[in-house]
Amino acid sequence: MQRYSIFSLARRALSGHRHWKPTWRDAAPRSSYDIIIVGGGGHGLATAYYLAKVHGITNIAVVEKGWIGGGNAGRNTTIIRSNYGLDGNAPFYELSMKLWEGMEQDLNYNTMVSQRGVLNLYHSDAQRDAFVRRGNAMRLHGIDAELLDREEVRAMAPFLNFDNARFPIQGGLLQRRGGTARHDAVVWGYARAASDRGVDIIQNCEVTGFVRDARGRITGVETTRGTILAPKVGLAVAGHSSHVAAMAGLRLPIESHVLQAFVSEALKPVIPGVITFGAGHFYVSQSDKGGLVFGGDIDGYNSYAARGNLPVVQDVCEGGMAIMPMIGRARLLRSWGGVVDMSMDGSPIIDHSPIDGLYLNAGWCYGGFKATPGSGWCFAHLLATDQMHEAASAYRLDRFASGRVIDEKGQGAQPNLH
Amino acid sequence: MRIPCPYCGPRDTHEFVCRGETDTNRPDNDEAFYDYVYLRDNPIGSVREHWYHAQGCRNWLTVTRDSQTHEISEAVLAKDAAR
Amino acid sequence: MVEGAELVPMLGMGIAAVMARRGADMTHLAALLGISAMPVARALKAGSGEIIIGTGPEMWLVISPDAAPDWGESLAERLAGVASVSDQSGGYALYSLRGAKARQLLQKGAFIDLHPDAFGRGSAATTVIAHAGVILWQTEEEAPAFELALFRSFQASLEHWFTVALAAMAAAD
Ligand SMILES: Cc1cc2nc3c(=O)[nH]c(=O)nc-3n(C[C@H](O)[C@H](O)[C@H](O)COP(=O)(O)OP(=O)(O)OC[C@H]3O[C@@H](n4cnc5c(N)ncnc54)[C@H](O)[C@@H]3O)c2cc1C
Ligand SMILES: [Zn+2]
Repeated sequence: MQRYSIFSLARRALSGHRHWKPTWRDAAPRSSYDIIIVGGGGHGLATAYYLAKVHGITNIAVVEKGWIGGGNAGRNTTIIRSNYGLDGNAPFYELSMKLWEGMEQDLNYNTMVSQRGVLNLYHSDAQRDAFVRRGNAMRLHGIDAELLDREEVRAMAPFLNFDNARFPIQGGLLQRRGGTARHDAVVWGYARAASDRGVDIIQNCEVTGFVRDARGRITGVETTRGTILAPKVGLAVAGHSSHVAAMAGLRLPIESHVLQAFVSEALKPVIPGVITFGAGHFYVSQSDKGGLVFGGDIDGYNSYAARGNLPVVQDVCEGGMAIMPMIGRARLLRSWGGVVDMSMDGSPIIDHSPIDGLYLNAGWCYGGFKATPGSGWCFAHLLATDQMHEAASAYRLDRFASGRVIDEKGQGAQPNLH
Repeated sequence: MRIPCPYCGPRDTHEFVCRGETDTNRPDNDEAFYDYVYLRDNPIGSVREHWYHAQGCRNWLTVTRDSQTHEISEAVLAKDAAR
Repeated sequence: MVEGAELVPMLGMGIAAVMARRGADMTHLAALLGISAMPVARALKAGSGEIIIGTGPEMWLVISPDAAPDWGESLAERLAGVASVSDQSGGYALYSLRGAKARQLLQKGAFIDLHPDAFGRGSAATTVIAHAGVILWQTEEEAPAFELALFRSFQASLEHWFTVALAAMAAAD
């Protein structure tokens, strides 16, 4: 692998950038592997990388039906944070946050991790109390959290609408270590590092069924590029989890929903970090190119369309106007949708499936980008050792049957409300 | 996406709330309850769902919709569909 | 007639929600209200001056001008056994929206087709304007004139929407 450094960059620049090599190897499928990962998004590629790096398993195929990063990994609003309140979530997202902090050195790739802070605004006394509780829970888990009052928020973000009579900004919960990362760079960085360790990344290869032995165990996959065998198959197909699991006869506690995202024309730097509205669903940050990147609620109905509807566009824009009216002066440049795997309690699943040989990594809802390194780390651990990783030990598939749900929002089994 | 409410006529989705798949019937034993509350078919293609016309006639509809194209092929009052 | 549009509160009206009892005879119900047939997504004026608006399957809003305080109760007695009646006189606010630009203005608020071919005299719809649920109908008068009912607590929102929408329309002219 060509290592990237300031010197390699300078050398290529002087030779007109003509001699860069492809960052990773576009492999053709072989007939068998030790492990097959289905889905070449961030989670699948990170899993392959950590299997190779941490567990020394390199005979791995990542099979992707389209191109890597064409799913949610390349469609999200790039927010990373570990400001979770529940015991089942906090250690996992903090593990992930620590991995983000060392990612660029580890992968030798500029994934543009930018810890510019995530600020959740609160607008009522009750919401402040809930944030105090969440902040305290985070600190008990060793995660940074600061409660800001109104004037401290104003100092950080003077452009917010502090005079809004209906949703007065009273303050915010700030995680300074949160921020953003460049989504496709994360995909390419993991792909390059995994490929370098011998992992086969196989694109345009859709899984269409499973190969099973006489005892019903999964021993491989049928794909549009032929049969590929492996004693272990891990699913990391995000919004298509139910669809692929159904090929093995499994029903999952998941619904697929569409989430939209929006980008404005490029502006001079105005927004310091990530800001979220507490009285509606709206979050915004500014990309390094200058565009305001923002989003809000999922559309609220099952969808595999990767394309949403206008009521949510209106809702998101109204949320934006409510907290930062200046956004009304910016023109919308692009919007798109992604298919997200909404679980029944809003939390993910990293577990064995009830079928031998099949492993699940699913239910990431609209929040799995931040989880990418942690998810890869813990799923690799599960695939390699057949044990759940300690930090992800709550993400069991049977938690719904046993009543141990991890419901940050307290909405119950109503995925369109999580 | 506009839903053709049998009473109100075609209406924008923002008037409705989606409640999800219809083919679940409240079971009478505990084991089946897990399936009923948590598991979904979630298919690509045709789905039958309950939608509530909250900002219209305030009736529950049974809607047949394609989850990939969003095309709606049928919307009837849920009480008629149940008959 | 008003050049632009005006939104005028209608006061002193009796308002009641009416739901047919299961299996009720619709012709009988219509006769009790003094009309020939119960309206479906339409508004009808009875000889008594009462307006009957179809709001949903076997559901109506009945409005009575100059209603006596016991109008709701007497309506319930009149329809006893055929329909349930709940007095909403204090729950809903009523408005009349009229003027040459009334239709154009409404179209800025409601997400329904208000073209005269689709929504004309006697048409009624339960829908949303500026996030507030409204029951809207076109009266049977000559000029396009609309009336609407909404929950009283949303009055300020509706009036705010009207002021802003009218100003925006005037500015665009
Ligand atoms: C608009 C939007 C905004 C978001 N914003 C954020 C955010 O700000 N912060 C955050 O933390 N999270 C966010 N998310 C969620 C996050 O993007 C996802 O949870 C995460 O990317 C899912 O993991 P992944 O990267 O592996 O998924 P994906 O990139 O979707 O990977 C799954 C892959 O599986 C492939 N696949 C599917 N079926 C098959 C098959 N049969 N055979 C082979 N391959 C198959 C797909 O093509 C896809 O490439 C957002 C999501 C969306 C849609
Ligand atoms: Zn309706």
